[in-house]
Amino acid sequence: MPTQPSDDRIALLQGTLDLLILRTLLLGPCHGQGVARSIGRQSEEVLFVDHGSLYLALQRLEDRKWIRARWGVSENNRRARFYELTAKGREQLMEKTSQWNRLTEAMGRILNSGPQSEEV
Amino acid sequence: MFHRRRSEADFADEIRTHLELEADDLRQEGVSPEEARFKARRTFGNVRAAQESFYARGRWVWLDRLLRDLRFGVRSMRLSPGFTLTAVLTLALGIGANTAVFSVMNAVLLRSLPVADPQRVVYINTSGAPNGTGTIDSNDTLSYAVYQALRQPSGALSDVMAVGLLSGSRIGVRIGSLPEQAEADMVSGNFFSGLGVRILRGRGFTSEDESRSASVLVLSYDYWTRRFDRDPRVLGTTIYVKSVPFTVTGIAAEGFEGVEPTHSTDFWIPLQNRAEFNVLGNAPENGKLYQNNPTWWCLRLMARLAPGVSRAQAVDRLQPIFQQAARTGLGNLHPGERPVVLSFTDAKVFAGFEDEYGKPLRMLMTMVGLVLLIAITNLILLLMARNAARQREFSLRLAIGARPAELLRQLLTESVLLVVSGGVLAWGFSIVATRVLARWALIESSLAPDRTVLLFTCGVLALSAVVLGVAPFRTAISGGAELALKTNAATAYTDSGKSRLGKTIVALQMALCLVLLVGAGLLTRTLENLRNIPLGMNTTGLVVFGLNPQVVHNQPELVRFYRELQTRLRALPGVESTTVMSNRLGSWWSNNSSFMIDGHEARNPDGTIALARSNDIGPNFFRTIEVPVLFGREFTDADGESKHYVAIVNELLAQRYFPNQSPLGHQINGLAIVGVVANHKYRSMDETPIPMAWWDYEQGPGEGEMNVEMRVRSADALAILPSVQKVVAQMDPNAPLIEPTLQRDQFERTIGQQILFARLAEFFGLLAVVLVATGLYGTLAYRVNRRAAEIGVRMAVGARRGQVVWMILRDSLVLTGIGVVVGFPLAVLAGRALASSLYGVQALDPATYLFAVAGVVVVALGAGVAPASRAASIDPLSALRME
Repeated sequence: MPTQPSDDRIALLQGTLDLLILRTLLLGPCHGQGVARSIGRQSEEVLFVDHGSLYLALQRLEDRKWIRARWGVSENNRRARFYELTAKGREQLMEKTSQWNRLTEAMGRILNSGPQSEEV
Repeated sequence: MFHRRRSEADFADEIRTHLELEADDLRQEGVSPEEARFKARRTFGNVRAAQESFYARGRWVWLDRLLRDLRFGVRSMRLSPGFTLTAVLTLALGIGANTAVFSVMNAVLLRSLPVADPQRVVYINTSGAPNGTGTIDSNDTLSYAVYQALRQPSGALSDVMAVGLLSGSRIGVRIGSLPEQAEADMVSGNFFSGLGVRILRGRGFTSEDESRSASVLVLSYDYWTRRFDRDPRVLGTTIYVKSVPFTVTGIAAEGFEGVEPTHSTDFWIPLQNRAEFNVLGNAPENGKLYQNNPTWWCLRLMARLAPGVSRAQAVDRLQPIFQQAARTGLGNLHPGERPVVLSFTDAKVFAGFEDEYGKPLRMLMTMVGLVLLIAITNLILLLMARNAARQREFSLRLAIGARPAELLRQLLTESVLLVVSGGVLAWGFSIVATRVLARWALIESSLAPDRTVLLFTCGVLALSAVVLGVAPFRTAISGGAELALKTNAATAYTDSGKSRLGKTIVALQMALCLVLLVGAGLLTRTLENLRNIPLGMNTTGLVVFGLNPQVVHNQPELVRFYRELQTRLRALPGVESTTVMSNRLGSWWSNNSSFMIDGHEARNPDGTIALARSNDIGPNFFRTIEVPVLFGREFTDADGESKHYVAIVNELLAQRYFPNQSPLGHQINGLAIVGVVANHKYRSMDETPIPMAWWDYEQGPGEGEMNVEMRVRSADALAILPSVQKVVAQMDPNAPLIEPTLQRDQFERTIGQQILFARLAEFFGLLAVVLVATGLYGTLAYRVNRRAAEIGVRMAVGARRGQVVWMILRDSLVLTGIGVVVGFPLAVLAGRALASSLYGVQALDPATYLFAVAGVVVVALGAGVAPASRAASIDPLSALRME
């Protein structure tokens, strides 16, 4: 049986990271370092991506065939591994985005409601 | 769908690219190149961890770890070859001995005949043969009339199979041009089909073969292999059995060795209705063969229960039929005689051996169990010592983050490695051992380990692996991580708990060793006593062989044949004298019958009918075997020509039935007693004296098979055999010498079982001593090593060498003392358990106990000498410098 260490501990992170990666790749093919930079920049450096986890997540998404990869040449002429969304990945992105939106909405409603709710 | 797995190198490439790209970006943001590279690396985090996770992804991690542990285990075993060799050999001997003995026990006590559905197959037994009948074995052989009655449809049995022995030993056959001997049985037509034994090639027997006495023959797989090299062309060829041609029509399935316990049958023929093939090769009694002679109980019967019928139901239904058939030719019961009773026994390979071999085998099993216990505890000691020496290694590994579970896993892996190598060796050892045992015990049936034994051995191995892995674990981790930081030799290895465990084990081993030595000692004394039993004759240079001449057809020819043969044998150089006898001495065979003294039926002092053993012998019998004739004379050639029938009796018979008078001139069975001879052994070495009588074979009805006894004056008496064979061949080219051997060896076969068990007990006792000695030596040597610094200090402050030696030896002697105290009551128990197997020695024989105690003391001192002298030779200065 394939074992992945510490599965449950990073389950939530994993989902989040996967979503961010897919969203980033929606803009076009990109290599790992680009994805990391892009997430940092777009979140205005609020989110920091652990690079090791990022590459493992990329590999995982690739194994699931949500993205595909091939070696290419970067803008500054370095050989890099470029990732690209597949049709399946696009579908997943839509689904996960709507899931995430519903989750944050629900979380927001609960967290923003006042203590009066207990008195009802 | 499968796609090529991404390599770790590719992943590493990607990470390298990442670091370069990151550094590029940082440089563009104005960071210096040096700083950029460093920062890129720092922000990435743990590169190795990422690579490790990538590697672990989708792998059988446990398998990977296992392989790693195995590699590590093999490496660490190779680092200490002495330890590995000792451990593996110890295990191989301990487990091998257990496998071998269990294998024998399994074969002898548990294994069923290799037939279809063996639970439904039984041997048919009787409580005895009725008065007035002759029998081969009073419980196992029945008459042809009983066979006929039981095979009538009764609904209880679906098949009744009959087996008739063609000879008490082997029979003469001729395949090529030379005569040879073989083991053969004649069997009923349904023998193979009823038992459910597959016929590998050709065909088995039919009921027609039986009724026609067909001259067909089925070979056993083993004989086919041994004698014919598995040549399929043997089918259809002719084998001369007792000079009668038989056609080979079938080969039985592999593994089926017949139904005679301890014997492996070479071939089978259908039941024959002709004089040459009377059971045991006997001459027809009053013209009647076994088939027409209801008072000769000579057939072994087996049966397959009818479907749905239990054993008890079958016995109930058959009992009246059996009891009626048993009276055939006998009339009504004699006054006071009870009807014989039918019973069934399991169709085991060694049917009826439970009584004789059950107890000694269980005893041996206990002995080897103790040996294994010693072996395992020895290994625990060794492993503890070794792991204590490796404590630094373990501490270091704990210190750099290994979890105790990982250490345990590694220790278990190492013990599994040891146990598996030991187990493989043990299996080979047991295969050889069972073969040797079978040869010693004169057992032809296979004793080789089978699947049951394999299961047993695997169980023992698994248990050993767990015990050996877990027991030293405590020692291994007891140092804790902080030990790695300590460097002081004196403080590094101090754990009183551990050495207490070690001491307990050594004392326990001493106790077990004492028990084994007492057992071995008692059995050895028994064997000595058995061997020294006076036989009442001189066996030096006595050679005996069987003969079944096919050129002889009646009594006068028989007498002429043997007279001529003996004349020629006596002409051979070195032959002093010769004689012939019907039953071979020391072969368990004897004639037993009630007898008449001066016309009255002889009775025992308690009024029951007395039995006497008898034998048919030729002239010169007592002169040849050197038994003194006390009164009168022995048979002469003149008796053979005379119609004056004569007999000889032994001292015991004379004393019992002719007290205070000379028996000469009185009659036994109507024959005139002409001589009285001293008591001597007949059937076996350990028999008690019994009244005996001898008849002159030259006057008798004649026997088919005779044994020739000759005294040879030569250091190697058996060297005469080739010339004997030549002499015999001149007279009958078809007659092989049957089981030629020394008379002494023939007698020793009757205590073969005791010899075998005593030898094994000696072997296991010796094994225990060696194991205990190595274990104790290892422990003491290790402790001297550990205490080198302490001893150095002692000597530096003035301890003399003698005191140091005594300090080490004292340890070992104190443990021995405790072991003896604990072991003594155990040994007494063991001695009691052995009591019934002993001969001429008491279960509480003081000499044996003294010997055993002396044995363990010698072991203790022997094992202590080397470490003690090592301790004494420690140089105080260099020992202190180790600090």
